[in-house]
Parts: sequence; C-alpha cells; structure tokens
Amino acid sequence: MNRRNFLGLGLGVAAVAMVPMSLSAVDFRATKPVAWTATKVDAAIKELYGTTATTESGVKLKAPDIAENGAVIPVSVSSDLAGKTVTIFQDANPEATVAVFTVPTGGIIDYSIRIKMQKTGTVTAIVEVDGKLHSASKLVKVTKGGCGG
Amino acid sequence: MANLGKARIKAKAKKGIVTVKAMAKHPMLSYQEAKKAKKKADFITHIMATVGGKAVFEVSTSQFLSKNPYLKFQFAGEKGQELELSMATLLGEKKSFKAKIK
Repeated sequence: MNRRNFLGLGLGVAAVAMVPMSLSAVDFRATKPVAWTATKVDAAIKELYGTTATTESGVKLKAPDIAENGAVIPVSVSSDLAGKTVTIFQDANPEATVAVFTVPTGGIIDYSIRIKMQKTGTVTAIVEVDGKLHSASKLVKVTKGGCGG
Repeated sequence: MANLGKARIKAKAKKGIVTVKAMAKHPMLSYQEAKKAKKKADFITHIMATVGGKAVFEVSTSQFLSKNPYLKFQFAGEKGQELELSMATLLGEKKSFKAKIK
C-alpha cells in the first residue's frame, strides 16, 4: 500500500465516524436535497428510500374528501408500526414532498399537520419500517387552490 | 427579515403520554407565492422538539405546509418536564420556544 492510498483510507474512516453524530438530528433537507425538488411522488419516494415498492397496510391517513380551501388541509397520519420515518407526499403541487418526520426510538406515530394544495390531488403517507415501506393514500378534492392559484 | 414569529405551544400529559399542539407564526411563502408577491421564498424547513436534551419529535418540512403551520404530535413523557421546540427556516432564521408540560 503506498502512502497516497493510505491517506485516502483515513479520510474514508473519518467520514464514517462523522455519521453517528448526526443521527439524533436528521435534517432531510440537508441529507436528501434532491427529494425536495422531485416533481413526481414516485421519484421523491425513490430518492428518499431507494425503492418505490410499498405495501398498502398498517398506516392510517386522515384527510378531508373535499377541501373547500386548499390553503389549509388538515392531514393526520397514525400507525402502530415501529416506523423510523414518516413521510407525506402529494401530487397537486409543483414538488411532491411535504414533510419527513423522524420518529425517535419508542416514538408514537400520530402526527397532524396542515398542508396546502394547489388543486385536487392524492395525498400519500409512507411509514418506513426496517427499510420496508407501508403506505396509505387518499384523494382530496380541492375546490379552491391554496398555492396562490 | 424576521418572518418567524412567536409560537404557541400546548403540551398536556395524560397517563404518561404527552400530546403537544403547536402553532408557529410564519407566512410559509412557497416559490410560486413568493414570485407573485415579489418577495423571497421562505418557509420553515426543520422543526425539532426535545425534552431534557432528548429528541422526541423531528420533522423536515417543505413549502407546502399551510401558513402559520399547526402541528400535533405525541410522545411518552411526564408532567412538569420542559419541552423545547426549535425551528429553522430556509433563510437561516432559528428560534426556539419553551413550554412546560402540564
């Protein structure tokens, strides 16, 4: 092994050692910047999790059937699964990703959030459990757009 | 430019489970809206809640949260502890708020 290779190796080890430091606070905007500019739900899921294979079970998604005001749409996601991350996507706005929740160890998955949608679209919630994706989706009819539309 | 205003936090403990309802004051300008209003796009990008230095809730968010975003979440905790909610925005603003769990 020559000296150049050895130096490179050292850098790699240092980079790996850095990772656990940030585990308690994962800012997905910093770690997965591409996922936030993805325009398609599938592309965003693939960017975040590396796969688009989902099982439609175990996730409860609550959203209104018809939203009169697209600027305020209450969405809640709950699940009994021991998920690590929970993600909310929709396909009505220019970009697909709305929010990525990081579930702390032993955390309870019961999140409510208010989102805005430009037009009628499907809201998709994904709970990741050990690399497997569980999903639920719901069509929300928007009668008045919320993205300045 | 201080877009990030005050936050209202309610944290209530019941049988070891704390339910937090929080509302932040922020216009949440998406790129489209900002273009129309001729302002810079700005929205909350990261919210984290900690109790005693331990993360209990964390979310990375995009511009599609409603104006003055509202959050509800639960975690296992006790009465009397202090909850700290910190937020960061796209333009680099950072604020944290404290609330006692009742």
